[in-house]
Amino acid sequence: MTMQTSPLATSNRRFFLRATGISMALPLFESIGGRVFGQNAAVGSLAGKLVNAERPLRMVCIGNLLGFYPPAFFPTKTGAAYELPESIEALQAHQRNFTLYSGLDHGIKGGHFAMSSFLSGVKTSDAKGMPEGNITVDQRAAETLGGATRFPSLTLGSESGIHGGCLMSWTRSGTRVPPITRPRELFQKLFINEDASSLAASMDRLDVKGSILDAVTGDAKSLQRHLGQRDKEKLDEYFTSVRDVEKQIELRRKWASVPKPDPKMKEPKNTDFVSDLPVMYDLIALALQTDSTRIATLEIGGDFEASAFGLNGGYHGLSHHGQRPDAIKGLIKMERYQVEQFARFLAKLKSIEDGAGTLLDHSMVLFGSGMGNANSHTNNNLPIILAGGGFKHGEHKTYPAKGQGRQMLCNLYLSMLQRFGAEVDTFGTSNGTLTGLA
Amino acid sequence: MAHSLASLELLAQSLMLRSSFLLTGLVLVLEAQPLHAAAETPKLHHFLSTYCNDCHGAERQKGDRRFDQLELPASKVDTLIDIKDIVDQINLGEMPPKKSKQPSSEEQKAFIDQITAALTQGRQALASTGGSTVLRRLNRHEYLHTISDLFSLNMAALDLTTKFPRDQSAEHMENLGDVLQTSGYLLDQYLDAADAVVEKVFAQQKPVKEEAWHFTKNFRSDLKRKEKDYNNAHLLVEECMDSDKHTAGFGVIEDFVNGVPADGFYEVLVLVKAMNREHPYDPKWFGTDPREPFRLGIVPGDAKAGPLDLPQPQQPMLAEVALDDGEAKWFTMKIWLDAGHTPRFVFPNGPEDARGTWFKIAEQHKDLWDQFMDEDDKVKGKIGIVAARQITLHVHKHPHIRIDEVKIRGPIAETWPPASQQAVLGKEAFLPGKVRERLQSFADCAYRRKATEDEMNRLMAVADQRIQQGYSPLEGFKAALKAVLCSPGFVYLSQETQEGSNKLSSRALASRLSYFLWSTMPDAELMSQDLTKPEALLSQIRRMLLDKRSDALVAGFLDSWLNLRNLGGMPPDRGEFEEYYSKGFQEAFKTETRMFMRDLIDRDASLVNFLNSDYSFLNQPLATHYELGELGDPTRAHEFRRVSFKTDKRGGLLGMGSVLTITANGIETSPVTRGVFLLENILGTPPPPPPDDVPAIDPDVRGAKSIRELLSKHRESPNCYGCHQKIDPLGFALENFDAIGDWRPRIGKKKIGSSGELPSGEKFEDVAGLKKILVQRKDLFARMFTDRLLTYACGRRMEALDEATIERIVADLPKKQYGLRSLIEAVVNSEPFLSR
Repeated sequence: MTMQTSPLATSNRRFFLRATGISMALPLFESIGGRVFGQNAAVGSLAGKLVNAERPLRMVCIGNLLGFYPPAFFPTKTGAAYELPESIEALQAHQRNFTLYSGLDHGIKGGHFAMSSFLSGVKTSDAKGMPEGNITVDQRAAETLGGATRFPSLTLGSESGIHGGCLMSWTRSGTRVPPITRPRELFQKLFINEDASSLAASMDRLDVKGSILDAVTGDAKSLQRHLGQRDKEKLDEYFTSVRDVEKQIELRRKWASVPKPDPKMKEPKNTDFVSDLPVMYDLIALALQTDSTRIATLEIGGDFEASAFGLNGGYHGLSHHGQRPDAIKGLIKMERYQVEQFARFLAKLKSIEDGAGTLLDHSMVLFGSGMGNANSHTNNNLPIILAGGGFKHGEHKTYPAKGQGRQMLCNLYLSMLQRFGAEVDTFGTSNGTLTGLA
Repeated sequence: MAHSLASLELLAQSLMLRSSFLLTGLVLVLEAQPLHAAAETPKLHHFLSTYCNDCHGAERQKGDRRFDQLELPASKVDTLIDIKDIVDQINLGEMPPKKSKQPSSEEQKAFIDQITAALTQGRQALASTGGSTVLRRLNRHEYLHTISDLFSLNMAALDLTTKFPRDQSAEHMENLGDVLQTSGYLLDQYLDAADAVVEKVFAQQKPVKEEAWHFTKNFRSDLKRKEKDYNNAHLLVEECMDSDKHTAGFGVIEDFVNGVPADGFYEVLVLVKAMNREHPYDPKWFGTDPREPFRLGIVPGDAKAGPLDLPQPQQPMLAEVALDDGEAKWFTMKIWLDAGHTPRFVFPNGPEDARGTWFKIAEQHKDLWDQFMDEDDKVKGKIGIVAARQITLHVHKHPHIRIDEVKIRGPIAETWPPASQQAVLGKEAFLPGKVRERLQSFADCAYRRKATEDEMNRLMAVADQRIQQGYSPLEGFKAALKAVLCSPGFVYLSQETQEGSNKLSSRALASRLSYFLWSTMPDAELMSQDLTKPEALLSQIRRMLLDKRSDALVAGFLDSWLNLRNLGGMPPDRGEFEEYYSKGFQEAFKTETRMFMRDLIDRDASLVNFLNSDYSFLNQPLATHYELGELGDPTRAHEFRRVSFKTDKRGGLLGMGSVLTITANGIETSPVTRGVFLLENILGTPPPPPPDDVPAIDPDVRGAKSIRELLSKHRESPNCYGCHQKIDPLGFALENFDAIGDWRPRIGKKKIGSSGELPSGEKFEDVAGLKKILVQRKDLFARMFTDRLLTYACGRRMEALDEATIERIVADLPKKQYGLRSLIEAVVNSEPFLSR
């Protein structure tokens, strides 16, 4: 879609985008019956006719910064009906709805510096050598949706942490998706409609932005003529950025006149990340239920502070337990809380009807970390749990670290993407779909 | 020889930019010969064919690996992966397998050296940008400084970039053209920030009437609780700003939480008294020196940014005074406040932990418990926090600051229109007829060159579109201003060269120089010079280094070279290192190192002082931390000053808290981490990364093994030893410094040994001995420093082609006694800096 030769180029590229609607699959607004799944409806009830009776799949990825203390996370037995170790006891009630994996990882090293590869299998430093860069599984899934939901995906959680934090979500062009960090802001984004004058002001600002983007594109084209090859390639980032912002503006414009759903809950106050964690999960569940988005990513990173648990030493400090029993005890306390909140989230998803099943049936939920053992900074044998999504669950599955049966973690991601509906046969460092996943 | 081939490639690439017809000829020539010109390459292949290719060659590819056609020198990522694999397997002793033919240890060592060099060169080749800086965008700091200067806007409490994605960095440098990226997220933020700043600048359309406020009551020291302190008649500040529990460190005016109505200067008058500087309690409870006068400070607070009784992201110290004892006195402070911000009172040298002291004080007054305990406390049989506080207040002997009245007046009329509007409009008010003229003037400034006719037409189109939609000419003008701030002309530094040459034009040089020395846009004087003339250039460098804006060079360069911007990234443990917070070490450490470098520039003194010195710049808390005793007058305890000392434990970077903290992880120290840091940033000889399969040390600090014992494995394996004999001794020399740079003679019961031996055979007993050896190796340091300074200055990494430049600069240093200012001048006059 080149703009150069279009007769509309000099005047209004945004008009071109709107007229052809190429950049996204727009939702059907024409008739109330075209509304998809509960937009503009109170949670739990649906307005108008459904487009069809099938529910789409959702994807949720949750990761933390410092992994889990392995002896309290990985069960000793494999197969079904295994005993849950201390840190994951809260998942007892859901044992049949998830699979816990041992032996999966990306085969890379780097400790904290490899964290950004958790959802992609590719370190940022290696991204240039990969055909899809270091795009993460959530963003890859988001690409398949076009503009079907108001938010192609929602990335939430801690902005930072040790060595930049989890850095979990990455786009195709190698940009880290900045997370929404606090529940109040997330709530407003999801559920607060602007009043008429605010909306008018927002639309007006979008107009100004659009007109600015036209002008600066002209500036960039004129600059381009004077640049050498490498500089031209660098300037391409600017052109790509302009297009990305224009797409965002179009999306915002389209959805501006669609009222946001009524969540039937009060706007939450921001307290601290640890106390806010259940609220974030609740908002994710609501966002999925109201089809505001179908993809959510949650980074449990630097703001997840040990002081909230009455512990001295700092989360990072505790993770370097050096085998000290009191440090390990503190670490497990923090990890149990994370698992409890995750379990609560699963229970919530189970309790929400979603067509002919529950929201959990239609949501694949990944829970784990890019850190294998924080005490020694290794990234192998990552803690990975997959719940829901209609897969068969209930077991502790192990894979060997080397040799014939070795499976890359990206194989799991590939399976997830295919189940999600993406037409892909590789992802990241995958060498097939995950054996043993049904 | 590998070097010269790399040079040929680089030369070819740079020629490519100028004459494409030459390109085809040159490339054909290069491709005709297989790239085996490097002397090492045949040796590498010889080793591989002797020991590896039988199983990893044409006939068999065991483990899916094949090395008989290894592309050397390496230029592809896949080749580098293969090479790394080979290096690791041999270092670990896994390959060749025990049953197969084994190389002698000399052959093996030679091979490892050569193949590791091939790996390093391959990585450099991949990162190469052909010896040119790639189109470089402003990073966050540069953006902020530029906006501030463009609009003459006070931005101390305003950060427009809080939602900007992080800048991409390499080697801790955040200003490298090829590494920094522009993304849709960033551009969206540029649009929002442009909107915010232009709206802010033009918010005041008529002079704001000065107002006055007077607060005498309804003071609540703790916004969370309801009980009355002093009948709410006084505002109390009882602890330092960064205590663990953040209970009583901020004095907020309850009736003024929404702050001032408009941006401007405000006069704040406070009737205040230092209470109980002399007190009957154990000084250790408070962690303060009773001889120091209390200091009262003002920081801004933004109710929208979060709770006002907690630290906020933007809280620069707006004013600070020392309080007397005796009767309450009026103090007047003039501060800048942004609209919506309220002044909050702080106690910078206050007690560490108010909460803890209330309990301790209550313990001493059990006779009062009955009177003050509430129902819950009585049931539990323990005094609660509320009662403890009330007892403390009742007894009234604890140190605190007491504020009785506050008067605020403002905004104090300055110029009209406000300075920031004048920066855009000049001295006259806005006139619809002058839109294009004012826009041209603004764009010329913002683009750091004259805006072209086409650019101006596009900007006018933005303004006109607005006007056609029914908005005022001022609104049109504002929209066009926003467009300027998002245009590539503003966002990217110019790559303009002189006619027919690779040398930067004068105005491109002005920008590069300005962002190097000031991290902001060039001023009018710099733009007016012909910087292609050496005398003009030198004169400007000297002017710029004398200007306060060059503090940005010191801060920016130290943040990059020593990674000081990440100080606090691994926050030291509150339990063990409380003083890091209560004594403000994070800021103090940075201040010390910055003042040290600033001083070297100002005096053109030797950069060898970084390696060892008999002085530094300290305040009293640092002097105490470094065991240097009392500096003198306690009323000046907070002031930084030059301190000479006789001890050889301190001095130079290796004695500074900043370096010692950034090389630890907030809990414990690692000689390997510190050793690597020294190799990278002091000696400039970074070691290669460790092999992938080394079992990571699962640290066991239950005292059973010392770190020296744990790391002894490095000495046992000859392959590990190759690198670790360079790394470990340097780190062990620093083991006497804990994770925040405090000196410790022992860990637990074990005395720490800091002696070591360098690969050259030179021995040292302790860190002082190591520093003496480093001083002898000063040219290595100078070389590394020059490389870093050139990288920071040019916005690109130095490559093989640049080595000659670096060598020349270093060779000239002794003539100037290694003076730092002279080095900066040499860097600016160098070919890489003057060229694209």
